[in-house]
Amino acid sequence: MTDVVFALAINGLVWGLIIALIALGLSIIFGLLDIINVAHGDLFMLGTVGGLVIATATGSFWVAIVLVPIIAFALGLALERFVIRPTIRQAALTIVTTFGLSMMLQEGVRATYGPQPRRMAPPIGGTVPLFGIDYDIYRLFAAIFAALALAAFFVFLNRTKLGTRIRAVRHDPETATALGIPVARVCGITFALGTAMAALGGVIAAPITTVEFRTGVDILPFCFMAVVIGGLGNLQGTVAAAVLLAVMEGLVTSFANPTIARIVSLAIMSGVLLFRPHGLFAGATR
Amino acid sequence: MTIDKPGTKNAKSRNTKSRNLTRRSFLETALAGGAAYVSLAHDMSAFAQAGGSIVIGHHCELTGGFSSWGYWHNKCALAAVKAINDQGGIAGRRVELVTEDTESNPATGTRKLRSLVQRNNAAFIVGSVHSGVMLASIPVATELKTVYFSSGEATEATGEKGTRYSFRTGTDTYGLAAAGAPWAFQNLGKTWTIISPDYAWGHSHYKEHKAIIEKLGGKVHDPIFVPLDAKDLVPYLTKIPQDTEVLFSVFFGALSVAFYTQAKSMGLEKTMKMYSVAGTIEAIAPADLKGAAEGVYIVENFPRMLKYKDDAFHRDYLKAIATDDVHGREAGSDKVNAKSHSWQSWENLFALKAAIEKSGWKTKKDDQGVIEALEGLEMANSLGHAQGSKLLRKEDHSGIIDCYISRVENDELHVKKTVSRTEMAQMMPVRFDLSKQPL
Repeated sequence: MTDVVFALAINGLVWGLIIALIALGLSIIFGLLDIINVAHGDLFMLGTVGGLVIATATGSFWVAIVLVPIIAFALGLALERFVIRPTIRQAALTIVTTFGLSMMLQEGVRATYGPQPRRMAPPIGGTVPLFGIDYDIYRLFAAIFAALALAAFFVFLNRTKLGTRIRAVRHDPETATALGIPVARVCGITFALGTAMAALGGVIAAPITTVEFRTGVDILPFCFMAVVIGGLGNLQGTVAAAVLLAVMEGLVTSFANPTIARIVSLAIMSGVLLFRPHGLFAGATR
Repeated sequence: MTIDKPGTKNAKSRNTKSRNLTRRSFLETALAGGAAYVSLAHDMSAFAQAGGSIVIGHHCELTGGFSSWGYWHNKCALAAVKAINDQGGIAGRRVELVTEDTESNPATGTRKLRSLVQRNNAAFIVGSVHSGVMLASIPVATELKTVYFSSGEATEATGEKGTRYSFRTGTDTYGLAAAGAPWAFQNLGKTWTIISPDYAWGHSHYKEHKAIIEKLGGKVHDPIFVPLDAKDLVPYLTKIPQDTEVLFSVFFGALSVAFYTQAKSMGLEKTMKMYSVAGTIEAIAPADLKGAAEGVYIVENFPRMLKYKDDAFHRDYLKAIATDDVHGREAGSDKVNAKSHSWQSWENLFALKAAIEKSGWKTKKDDQGVIEALEGLEMANSLGHAQGSKLLRKEDHSGIIDCYISRVENDELHVKKTVSRTEMAQMMPVRFDLSKQPL
């Protein structure tokens, strides 16, 4: 029993780190643009599909993991310019807009790539014994890669000129404008970064899960839970919440039905909304 | 229809032709057009004399979670209508197929069903393969007094939730359990665990298989029901008891791929036999799973490989729906036929044709005759019934068909055992008599 508890806790940590990468993209977009991006899960889906297409075409997963975020970044710039910017600062309208975008992305992939689910073979095969179960080595790689990507993002945000500008615009867009920071361009880049992170999460998760046009639908609620519990717009809080939620679900699953674990997560989110509406972590608000 | 852009080669060519129009070419064109019109008018007149077209509704999963199946159901229904119309229609009347997308959603499905019947005047419905949509739709079809063929597998559709109006030519969970469970019990193992989505289809499979395995003296562990939105199945797979000999999985679509991938990576096939039903691998080629489904036993309703039912009808059917005879792939694409289910969207139209012609149906007022003709309808192996001879059993409106137990070997589905429809009838005694319900 103890073995299963540890195994599922570690599996929760692994999954939590991948989710954190995706949820961080959602959080940064909300934090800067006040957009609840309902299409964020579909950007993750585009990452899985793009990853499989490029890996199949080039024969290399590693090419896909480099190219997909770059392509997604460019797509993010275009989406921000032509879909998001016309409705920016109108929260209700952005929900409708991104919902429409979500449907277009899903149906676009279904119509072109096809509706059938597919598998992407992991670039690293084999298993390791982990507390009584044979654990996929690729999952451990995926967790390490996700952790490195998260660390790289925070280094970028805190140690580069562009990162400083993004933080400045998040903190006070009017003053940032007065100081000569090109706010519109920073917003575009931030949305593109969020898109690239979701797509990168998609490439990493593709060999673990399934590649199909609806892959992003089910991942979005968990990301939203992480963002809400971590504090809307609180980037570190979002990462911590994603990891904690996934580990907690893993632990609960070891002695109860996994569905109960999800109910516990929802109960925690409800509690946070009730007692700490700005998020679980200190300084949760922007 | 294609439209040539101005200035393109084709457009210029056409302009040149129009400028060069002569009296001879005008007469040639006029005569050809006249001949085509006369031919078409004669054709339409032949159908019109028989009483206008018969509108049949197709309640199909064109989008949503079941769209990889729905694509094939739609393709088969369209091909069947074309074949029927090419042969003179039904009782001399042209068939018009009107398709509505259920979006793989029960609420949408019921709304679209009303639209088919009330707005499009569909006289009969070739219905959904999605168990949730199917079970939500049967009461609506019954309220609208419209014959509804479904192809979902939840047994309730031809059982406790079935009505005089609901029919199914294919198998259900009751039939699949009868076809495969005794053989799997004898050949694969006696201690079973069932893992399935937390949804009508999975629950129905658990109930039917548990009854048979326990009757045979086996043991069935508590089921593991997985939420439909699960991405990571490891927490569920670790719940499988160690003494499991047969892991019976019932998934579809993306969850199916996730299950095979993650079960394989955990090496479950090393300690237990993997057993499933065709729904788990519908619209998926084992080759696309890159070895994850190798060795899995699967109960098929229609063998994916032609060689296991090699006759002219099967060959012509595959030709009509442009599918290859080994992997079930569509010609010119990598789509894989949901073959164990989609044949019903082809065959149901031929079953309706037989019943309409047998009963002399003219309008909705004559529906009782069609229902009575369908109850107990024998269908001989033919192009219209390429899956094989079958009976639409009078009492429970269930198709009694041949089934096949296959194994994935080298990315192909090889049949290991054929369960004849005679054996099926013996193993699945009638439990409900829908034929006594009033109309």
